Amino acid sequence: MNLRRTVALSAITAFAVAALTPAGASAAAPWWVPMRLQGTALVAVVASGKTLVVRTASGMTLRSTDSGATFDRVPGNPDVRPPASVRSGNDAWVIATGRVLHATGSGPLRLDPGSPDLGSRARLIAAPAAAPGVVVAVAVDGTVWRRGQDGGWGRGLLLLPAGFPNGVPAITSLTAFTQPLSVTVYLGTDGYSVLASPDGGDDWIRAGPGLPESIRGLASDPTTRTVYAATSDGLWAHRLQALPAPAVYHDAALVWRWVGIVLVTLAVAVVAVLALRRAMRPAVAQKRA
Amino acid sequence: MLVPSIDRNQRWWPAVAALVVGTAALGASLLVPQLFSDPNGVDPYVARLSATALVLAGATFLVRPLAPARPVLLALFAVTGSFTLLSAGPQILFDLFGTRSGSGDEQVLLASTAQVLVTAGVAWLVWRSVPPELRPAFRLTRLGVRGAVVTVAGTAALLLGALALPASWLGRDGVEPVAVLRDLAWLGPAYAMQAFSQELQFRGLLMGGLERVMGPGWGNLGQAAFFGLTHLAVNYQGPVAPFVPVTIAIGLVLGYVVQRTNSLWPAIVIHAAADIAITFAVLPGLYGF
Repeated sequence: MNLRRTVALSAITAFAVAALTPAGASAAAPWWVPMRLQGTALVAVVASGKTLVVRTASGMTLRSTDSGATFDRVPGNPDVRPPASVRSGNDAWVIATGRVLHATGSGPLRLDPGSPDLGSRARLIAAPAAAPGVVVAVAVDGTVWRRGQDGGWGRGLLLLPAGFPNGVPAITSLTAFTQPLSVTVYLGTDGYSVLASPDGGDDWIRAGPGLPESIRGLASDPTTRTVYAATSDGLWAHRLQALPAPAVYHDAALVWRWVGIVLVTLAVAVVAVLALRRAMRPAVAQKRA
Repeated sequence: MLVPSIDRNQRWWPAVAALVVGTAALGASLLVPQLFSDPNGVDPYVARLSATALVLAGATFLVRPLAPARPVLLALFAVTGSFTLLSAGPQILFDLFGTRSGSGDEQVLLASTAQVLVTAGVAWLVWRSVPPELRPAFRLTRLGVRGAVVTVAGTAALLLGALALPASWLGRDGVEPVAVLRDLAWLGPAYAMQAFSQELQFRGLLMGGLERVMGPGWGNLGQAAFFGLTHLAVNYQGPVAPFVPVTIAIGLVLGYVVQRTNSLWPAIVIHAAADIAITFAVLPGLYGF
């Protein structure tokens, strides 16, 4: 009996050690990477190639010409404010007097049919070049509107209150790649970090792992394939990458993994049946220690 | 010194042994392959759990001493087997019928229907193969005034409580109106059917079977513990694992509701409301919920 207990205990210990030992694994690149200015609250960012311009909460304007490695002060501290317009592919989209105007090529701007009234102070608009005709715009009441490729507008997202007694976080920024790299639209919030829509504004996911909750500005740059976030804790960057997905195995790797799973399953089931059979035996007499 | 051992002549012993051994076996078949393989990529529908549960349940028909464990082990198979069918159903439909299988939402609805049928089939098998003194009470034939009141109050409490809690705890950042209009007609009934299946599995088959041989409190605790651990298998691996105790608590509350109202329907409606609210008001993260 002592030998059986010893063997059982040894097996359990070996299993526990194996299970608790960290297995080597290669992790995917972090979704968001901190860049410079950590500890500094930023309120805006614009990006064009290697040039980045950010605005701090204290009113300072900083510029980098080496993709964010170093920043220098801009004389006069000009305000940094992304325009209420976007040129995406062959299309131009502009918010004017609360409505969305559209121009194709060098043609004139015309009111887009069905454009909702976003409010006279609305400024946030994005249009992914990879999905011509798709536009996402934010109304002053916080409603996120989306235009489908068929031209129809609909309410794509309504933020919910952050919880008692907090209200609904503000939407602060919006961006998408203006070259056909990705259909994803990125939305910055002051409380829900970054949300992203991989289908032009119909479905949204929480896409801010590692980021602070307060995002005050977003900018995307197609030449570097990067989205920049101006946050309460400095500047962060997301290099365009595929959404995480389970690995896919083929051929021999798939077969042997299935063989292993089947063998384990059979072994576990047989052991369990034997254990249950033993457990179902009639009463056990009291033992003396 | 006397060391009392367990009296296996107690009526509750076979059920408890079945639940403990069955849960351990399912846990082993779920986790052991992670030591040498990538089961989430190879077996995303956790067919290995269903196979283990099927062997255990089948053994109760072939090995006579295991017959008293049949109600519990069939309940475990109802949980695992129907889940594998539900999660693999859309892929199976697509593999068989291609684009004729309909949209993703239609596939989910069909898979949910299959889950109900499998659960009902197992319930029928339990009813036919288990002696009357061990048959679980399904509590499907009555609702009553108390049940109706608890249904409305419980659903309201759930939704209000979810709004009061910090949004970051639950990920309930926003509602997607376009997606809701697109999906509700299909996914609403689908999640209602899934809630029916799960309540019949956990609070009907499992708790009902445990209650026949032990006090209602212990029966409720047993099903709630398994309810929480089951979610560890399919949802709560990695950073979301701390939700397991929360889910156990939810299972306890639903079990208590069923026992106090003597009806499964309040739990079904509350569970369905929770699933629908999660689907349409909780934004998934990069790695799922």
